[in-house]
Amino acid sequence: MKNVILFTIDTLRKDVLGCYGNKNKLTPFIDSLQERCIKFTNMQATGPYTQASFPGILTSSYYLEYGREKKLSPKKTLVSEVLKKSGITTAGFHSNPYVSDYFGWNRGWDVFYDSMEAEVSQEVPYIKGDEINKKVDEWLSSYIKGGEYKPFFLWLHYMDVHEPYVPERKYVDMVDPSIDLSKEDMFDLFKNTLLKRDPSDKGKVELLKKLYFAHVREVDSYVEEFFNILKKLDLLENSVIVMSSDHGDEFGEHGGLSHDGKMYSELINVPFLIFDYAKDKGEVCDALVSNIDIPPTIVHLFGLEPEKNFKGYSVLPLKDYSERGCFGEAMDKRSAHEKETDRPIYYYQKKELKIIYREGMDSWEVYDLEKDSQELNNIAGISPKADEMKKALKPRVGRWLRGE
Amino acid sequence: MREEKASEGRKEEIQKRIDESKKIVRQAFEKFKPSEAAITWTGGKDSTTNLWIIRQVCLEDNIELPHIITIDEGDAFTEITDFLIRISKKWNIDLMWLCNFDVLRASMSKLGSTVKVKDLNERNQAEIKRIGFEEDSFTFEAESYTGNHLMKTVVLNQFMEENNIKALFMAVRWDEHPARKDDKYFTKKEGGHLTPEHTRVAPILHFTERDIWDNIKLHSLPYCSLYEIGYRSLGVRTTSNPMEVGVPAWQQDLENTIERAGRRQDKEKAMGRLRKLGYM
Repeated sequence: MKNVILFTIDTLRKDVLGCYGNKNKLTPFIDSLQERCIKFTNMQATGPYTQASFPGILTSSYYLEYGREKKLSPKKTLVSEVLKKSGITTAGFHSNPYVSDYFGWNRGWDVFYDSMEAEVSQEVPYIKGDEINKKVDEWLSSYIKGGEYKPFFLWLHYMDVHEPYVPERKYVDMVDPSIDLSKEDMFDLFKNTLLKRDPSDKGKVELLKKLYFAHVREVDSYVEEFFNILKKLDLLENSVIVMSSDHGDEFGEHGGLSHDGKMYSELINVPFLIFDYAKDKGEVCDALVSNIDIPPTIVHLFGLEPEKNFKGYSVLPLKDYSERGCFGEAMDKRSAHEKETDRPIYYYQKKELKIIYREGMDSWEVYDLEKDSQELNNIAGISPKADEMKKALKPRVGRWLRGE
Repeated sequence: MREEKASEGRKEEIQKRIDESKKIVRQAFEKFKPSEAAITWTGGKDSTTNLWIIRQVCLEDNIELPHIITIDEGDAFTEITDFLIRISKKWNIDLMWLCNFDVLRASMSKLGSTVKVKDLNERNQAEIKRIGFEEDSFTFEAESYTGNHLMKTVVLNQFMEENNIKALFMAVRWDEHPARKDDKYFTKKEGGHLTPEHTRVAPILHFTERDIWDNIKLHSLPYCSLYEIGYRSLGVRTTSNPMEVGVPAWQQDLENTIERAGRRQDKEKAMGRLRKLGYM
């Protein structure tokens, strides 16, 4: 039986990866893996920010399932809990406070490192990818020492492309050496433009995007470093690596910055790759899949029975997967600050059609992603399928208040 | 219940730990003048041990004691305050009490009250701005991000600035938290946004929780009475809880339970991180 590694990168947009068509050469290493990957072109996250998306990735459930919870509900099942019960060793390494011990995400892990005790700076308020790699390397090395070991499930998560976007000079140079900003300038850009959600100055937005690109380039080097660790420990051939992101990031596409409560593709449509060394040819899967399918896929890879509490389905084997449409929900916040008065926003996608409902404004949007991939032309009033889409989404609306 | 008398072998081990710490302290005094150094003393078991060791080195080598400081976050246990006063007298220590009085004034010293940013002095307003807090008011709690920053970090930074402090003796230990296990005896902190440049010195890094208690018992060091009723780790009053009520700290299962489990520190840390990431 192979080990399974879930490798997630915070805030990584799908369209910045070379293997998804980006021409800026930001991810040469990830791109080089394609021969041994299944590439999913149509994976939707369950929400546009960590708290709304990670319930999909690690618990195969939706954010507001049991109300607007601050901490992970005990009614939800983490994939780590399922695996640990079956005798698989589970280890998680990350630096995102929203999935930390404090918020209840430490259940089911034999080893859980969330870095909250480490000191971090204003400019880089998380443990960088190379530090995560170091911790993972240490753990893996000691775990496999002696040769005989139980299969393991390893989750690692990088924060490096998350704002405040103060990348190292060498990565800035790789993206655009003409950028002449000190770290203070970058931090000011974060404080005065990004935090204020002010995309009015196009030049500044472009600059922010380039700094974000620099972090993407940086993260690709950490991914490479991690694969080298696996190689060094002889683990590459006997591990399946599931790679994805929790959500994307906005650079003015729909009038905003960062990742607030919106359900458009720049935030929701995320990369999803399954790397298996045994493959000799890259595969592409265009099926519409959701990140709630990640936990069932992991359970399947370990050859275990599906977990009843999971809402998704294994994407493997590919031929047995059937599309069911994708759903997501979050709070409809328009700034970094979530307010008590914020109401939810929902989306449902079926094939090329996507419907979005904002509860607070009682407004519906429908987009035809095939003709309007940027989601700028709302056809809720004219699409003959709008009613059918509304009907599919309506049962979810208001559930968070009823606590069903 | 654990045998309280230490064996000869154990005594030797403890002495080794102390000697190791003294070596670090002497190295620090080679680099920094006592007047440029400060010892942080919370009244907890670790910082009292730390102070006791540094004080011994000073007495043995005839070195003047560095500044000794304690920070009042506005939410202190009276047991700790009493302990600090009592031991300062006993050890003949000129303890400096640091406090952000401006915040206390604006909050009327009431935990949970709302503090308006505009009611604060310039320095505090600037500090709030620097950490990216943009609301008009915040709740006065030692564990809230803004509260913690103003009551602890700002006060410490200001003290270091005013007294030209280059070295801070702190009482962190490798075994108190997994995240500490890579810590070094000397850590240089670059001056930046919020902190003046300085070096942090951690002489008792290698002490385990058991070493601390065995040493306290062996050398009859004073300790705060809260440890007798079950506290294992002391922070501010509102967020510290006993681990096993009624069981003295040194009689608890130190090796197999988490020392800081009685403290709600994770919230403070998680909240601080979230704010730095641009949330909340």
